[in-house]
Amino acid sequence: MPELRRDPIVGRWVIIDNTSPKGPEDLQLEPHHYEDHTNCPFCYGNEYMTPPEIQSIRHEKTLPNTPGWQVRTVPNKFPALQIEGNLDRRGMGIFDLSNGIGAHEVIVETPYHTKDIADLELPEIEKILEMYCMRSRDLEKDKRFKYIMIFKNYGNAAGATLDHNHSQLIALPMVPKNVIEELTGSGEYYEFRERCIFCDMIKQELDEKERIITQNNNFISFCPYVPRFPFEMWIMPKAHEMFYYKISKDEITELAKILKEVLMRMKVALNDPPYNFIIHTAPINGEEKPGYHWHMEIMPRVSRIAGFEWGTGFYAVPTPPEVAIKYLKEAKI
Amino acid sequence: MPELRKDPIIGRWVIIAVERARRPKGFKPALSMPDEGECPFCEGNESDTPPEIFAIRKEDTKPDHPGWDTRVVSSKTPLLRIEGNNNRYGRGLYDVMGGVGAHEIIIETPRHIANIADLDETQIAKGITCWIDRFVDLGKDERFKYVLVFKNYGWASGGGKLKHARTQLIATPVTPKRVKEELHGAKTYYDYHERCIFCDLIRQEIESQERMVLDLDGFIAVTAFASRFPFEIWILPKQHSCDFSSMSVENRLHLGTVLKTVLTKLKKGLDDPPYNFVLHTSPFRRKKTKEGYWKTIEDDYHWHLEIIPRLTSPAGFEWGTGFYICPISPEETAKYLREVEV
Repeated sequence: MPELRRDPIVGRWVIIDNTSPKGPEDLQLEPHHYEDHTNCPFCYGNEYMTPPEIQSIRHEKTLPNTPGWQVRTVPNKFPALQIEGNLDRRGMGIFDLSNGIGAHEVIVETPYHTKDIADLELPEIEKILEMYCMRSRDLEKDKRFKYIMIFKNYGNAAGATLDHNHSQLIALPMVPKNVIEELTGSGEYYEFRERCIFCDMIKQELDEKERIITQNNNFISFCPYVPRFPFEMWIMPKAHEMFYYKISKDEITELAKILKEVLMRMKVALNDPPYNFIIHTAPINGEEKPGYHWHMEIMPRVSRIAGFEWGTGFYAVPTPPEVAIKYLKEAKI
Repeated sequence: MPELRKDPIIGRWVIIAVERARRPKGFKPALSMPDEGECPFCEGNESDTPPEIFAIRKEDTKPDHPGWDTRVVSSKTPLLRIEGNNNRYGRGLYDVMGGVGAHEIIIETPRHIANIADLDETQIAKGITCWIDRFVDLGKDERFKYVLVFKNYGWASGGGKLKHARTQLIATPVTPKRVKEELHGAKTYYDYHERCIFCDLIRQEIESQERMVLDLDGFIAVTAFASRFPFEIWILPKQHSCDFSSMSVENRLHLGTVLKTVLTKLKKGLDDPPYNFVLHTSPFRRKKTKEGYWKTIEDDYHWHLEIIPRLTSPAGFEWGTGFYICPISPEETAKYLREVEV
């Protein structure tokens, strides 16, 4: 009998198919491949092809917009939002709208065209994570922004339009709907129990030991009990903290380790799938709420989302997390 | 300048990024995958499906035999099972429930035709009659709270390899979250204005004409003001009704005509894109105590159909945040669709 499970934070019900659970062999796996990379705007020597860099981590004595960088942030050439101007919220009959003010940046993760995070050395990954912090701290100063979203699309099927590995950052003038739901859900739990629901979730995972992929001093990674996608994975800091960008130097070291391991396991178990990850962090500039706990959600894109999911927000997951975990743990890395 | 727009019903913000405006290219046409072997949904192959639950068929023909126009069968790979109970229990933080429900397939034509745009309106109306019949029947089972009617057309939309035109129906033991949000939004608007938000939306769309694709036979088809996806289209009945199953026989035919016209415009104008559509209708209204959104549901909610062509793959953050970037404005797509001759 399939099982319905409810996400305790946002209240979403998910169908878990544990009658005929699907393993990697049953999923639509299309391994990643890199196209020819001449003229890649993110490769060394082609810095002039992107808008001027906003910030970079680079070798001493090298100039901005020249080779010698390890991580490089540039404005998105086709930004979804525009940095200059006023929000100018207004109505139009029953509709509300405003100008599309915000920041849309691209974080080029590595000078190597064909390396993903899983393939990089730990110090290289640490620099990417450090860059996320630097950009967040900088954008937080702009009081127009209420939310900073950092995410990655790997592979065409996951929404990436350029092969060279990169993450993106969008600073928004309002808090996205799903984040509000998360905040409301965790806020209510906090008010009622005076505990953080994410901390409780970590405790339950540590007790049950059924879905933990790996852990270290500061972080734990597990397959969530109520996933939306097969092989969905979360990484959570063990210490209660609302904001990603307040992460310490030591924590960055540990996060780099766990992120590399988890992405590597996914890569081996699912044959280098397209994937997305998103950093869920609290809103900024007055919109935060107690009881929130930042974390990272990783979603391999190995199933198609059909009309059912669109219409209802009700997801059907063909691989229970208790099954996914086996493949992830057995993956030889 | 890009625009941020808010869906007036559920409050979701989307970015209409007109600066990026590029007509979607590079998507795979719906039928780009090869067809797979013998089709179980074609007339003559009735024995390849589970037994039929309902059919519109010629007199003197037997169930599970040729002679039908539309036919409903159980899914061979159901997401939810009809047997069992929906016992709820807790597991630490989490709530769990038995996965009971119904998962049925409405086969919309005996012929091997993939897109209902290629059927005539009477045939489409017979499919709609099947939705209604099944909806009413499943409503008698008190375990079910909601029936979701939807279509996945083409490989990229989750339609699988089988091409034969069909709609699916899933009865669920809980009201899905997305539906609850819509009900809640409609109720909040009604509490304040004492008007149905969808009726107001229809009035505003008719007045402005900017997003109008079609205004015909008591229905309008508009591109959504706060579109999540390029060419997202809503079809709404002008006459207020919270429940699609109360639709008259005449209106089923009208909806058939409107659906056919809109889907043909999409097919011709965009080179046969994959699409999903989802029917949004009221949950079963059998509550004895009229509380919460049940109190005014008949006045505040308005059934409609949402069509989503699958031209772009939503990126991760759109799933994760519910914040969508639509690369082309609905005013532009409506204009484009109005000009497609059918």
